[in-house]
Amino acid sequence: MRHGKYPFILSFLALPVGLYAWLVLVPFAQAFQISFTDWSGSTNQFDYIGFDNYLNLFKDERFVIPAIRNTGIILLVLPLVTIAMGLFFAFMLNIGGRSRQGRIEGVRGAQFHKIVFFFPQVLSLAIIGILWKQVYAPPGFGGLIAGGLEAIGLPAPDNGFLADKDLVLASVIGVLVWSAVGFYLVFFSSAMASIPRDFYEAGIIDGAGRFQLFFRITLPLLWESVQTAWIYLSIIALDVFVLIYMMTPERGGPDGRSEVVGGVIWKYAFKHGEQAFASALGVVLFFVALTLAVVALRIGRHQRIEY
Amino acid sequence: MRKPIPNPHFSRRGLLGTSAAGLAATSLAACATSGGDADTEDVEVGGDDENPFGVDGSAPLDVVIFDGGFGNEYAVKHQEMYNRLYPDAEISHLATQQIAETQQPRFAEGRPADVIDNSGAQEIPIDQLINDGELAELTPLLDAPSFDDPNVTVRDTLRAGSLEKGTFNGEVYALNYAFSAWTIWHDNKLFTDHGWEAPTTWDEMLELCPDIQAAGIAPWVYTGVHPVYLYDMFLMLAGRHGGVDVLKAIDNLEPDAWGHDSVGMAAEAMYKLWEDGYVLEGAPGLDHIQSQTAFNNREAAFIPVGSWLPNEQREIAPDDFEYAPIGVPYLEGSVQPGLISAGGEEPFIVPDKAANKPGAYEYLRLMLSQEGAQIFGDTVSAATVVEGVELDNLAAQLTDELVSNPDDLFQPQFRFWYSRMDEEVRPALGSLMSGESTPEEFLDRMQTVADETADDDSIEHFTHD
Repeated sequence: MRHGKYPFILSFLALPVGLYAWLVLVPFAQAFQISFTDWSGSTNQFDYIGFDNYLNLFKDERFVIPAIRNTGIILLVLPLVTIAMGLFFAFMLNIGGRSRQGRIEGVRGAQFHKIVFFFPQVLSLAIIGILWKQVYAPPGFGGLIAGGLEAIGLPAPDNGFLADKDLVLASVIGVLVWSAVGFYLVFFSSAMASIPRDFYEAGIIDGAGRFQLFFRITLPLLWESVQTAWIYLSIIALDVFVLIYMMTPERGGPDGRSEVVGGVIWKYAFKHGEQAFASALGVVLFFVALTLAVVALRIGRHQRIEY
Repeated sequence: MRKPIPNPHFSRRGLLGTSAAGLAATSLAACATSGGDADTEDVEVGGDDENPFGVDGSAPLDVVIFDGGFGNEYAVKHQEMYNRLYPDAEISHLATQQIAETQQPRFAEGRPADVIDNSGAQEIPIDQLINDGELAELTPLLDAPSFDDPNVTVRDTLRAGSLEKGTFNGEVYALNYAFSAWTIWHDNKLFTDHGWEAPTTWDEMLELCPDIQAAGIAPWVYTGVHPVYLYDMFLMLAGRHGGVDVLKAIDNLEPDAWGHDSVGMAAEAMYKLWEDGYVLEGAPGLDHIQSQTAFNNREAAFIPVGSWLPNEQREIAPDDFEYAPIGVPYLEGSVQPGLISAGGEEPFIVPDKAANKPGAYEYLRLMLSQEGAQIFGDTVSAATVVEGVELDNLAAQLTDELVSNPDDLFQPQFRFWYSRMDEEVRPALGSLMSGESTPEEFLDRMQTVADETADDDSIEHFTHD
């Protein structure tokens, strides 16, 4: 055993681990503790009330129930759409082009497209929120989409997309996809780049079309990347707080149609002065996220192919 | 084979690192649930007219100001006044919009500031602070001799209706410093140019609407994204028709309060504005900046906002724009047509655990002096709750006329008393005015949540006396 190895390693780990424990783990643990109290958040007095907060969570039809429903929808739609689009674009940019002298290439201008698609990733989420709030505005008020639809004679929501109860959630998901797809395009691109070209060439010689190339070669070999993307996107889907806060009427409206769990936690903690109730919801969210990650990693276990 | 690294040096550094982390931890250790229990004594009014609360001149004073529409320049000047009396007092002045984010943790630690201007979108919910017993009652301040005349108490220097909003079950927990009214605004220039007369009754208003439309202008615009701007308009419409008791019944969560005929007629009337197309297209999707800009651009004739609007728009509105307020045009058969939602806004609170409570009371007493009120009026050209300070602009003078009868001042409270009612009335009004729910659905929805709130034993209930 090399003398003094551990003190050396510890000296590097102590500070980051200590900070992590203090600033992340301890607050997590405290959220558990707080969720069993009636603490409002602005006093140093509280009583323990057992599981009452948890029981009341699922009776709250104004906030919690719609939030769970909406977060559920985002959780289903966001990863699916983003990954599908990311894979499609990555495939087109890397393999989808016409083959020149037997070489597999992407569509023309692939590099340029990559940069354009990646662009939203550079903007902070708050800026994206402000930007899209304007894009979604009513037609008479500079709303790009509604105004455009109206200009070409298609039906557009009179009050803009975000004030429309049926469109608001879809609009928010649209922004999420727009902002995320560029990153996953680059992510999948780099994963595709590691797939040997021979596989495709062999496939083409065997008479495979682009669909077959994609579903028989690309997708199976990218499975691990897809899985990782799924987990990341699910975590984004469980949050979404910033966009809701920046864009939607009354931060979750109109009439609760875009409430999400993250936003409701914030509302209870800071607007209604019910920290304990908010903590209970946070704890539930914590377990959902944990379960999701475990399930996603377990279900998709594939055999690794070495190449 | 690599050589083992000689490491006495590193382990010392490691030790330092570890202890640094430990130190950081202890200084951060004011965790959410570990605050101390500092109980301060109640302030009493002593015999000294100059210093009724027994202020310790050397004690520091901790002031937090909401840096919103009114800015914080006026507060700096108030603090200069305080320092003139107590030159040794060190005043810490924080101007922020994040009241809850910055102040809630201090309440949780048991070390709150001395005076907090608890206002804006990020205010700490006052009903919770009161439920938790975190606020000092302000009666000693109100009973103290006023700064300008020791023979008059502070309470008697205030305008009628000033204290209502800060009063909870008869006890005053917030001093609302600015005096404002919710009114309907129109541009006097536009009306004069077209020869229109500002309507006093709802029917006159409806008769005028086709003329306004003929001029290519929408009669109404409102802030659809924050339907709270409709709250006072709707309630005053109902209250003017049926009298103030209709609104008190709603605040008191009486069964079937929303079923009163006057309330139904008001809902019907608001809904009809949408039905008849008298509202600017797209209004439900506008935030306050967009709706007020549309109003400044003379795209709409009327907008419901509070009396701070002209000041807020001073730099933005066209030069010839003449902001003029009217009360909500009243329905035919109204029994109290002068009723208006007016009173104190901008709540200043004193935490019960404030370190310098006497200083806090004294600071508020200075704010309520003639000089203090004049500072506010000059800096932000808005009225305070202090009587006898004149403002020289048209909007302020017209507003003063609207609020001249003390019996007609009433601020509906249920939105401030119960978060749940607040969260319901806003979307409900939004749906009503965008034609998404009928008046009957609106009334049912509000009655349901009122009943639920009344039955909820876990919260404190408030009533008007």
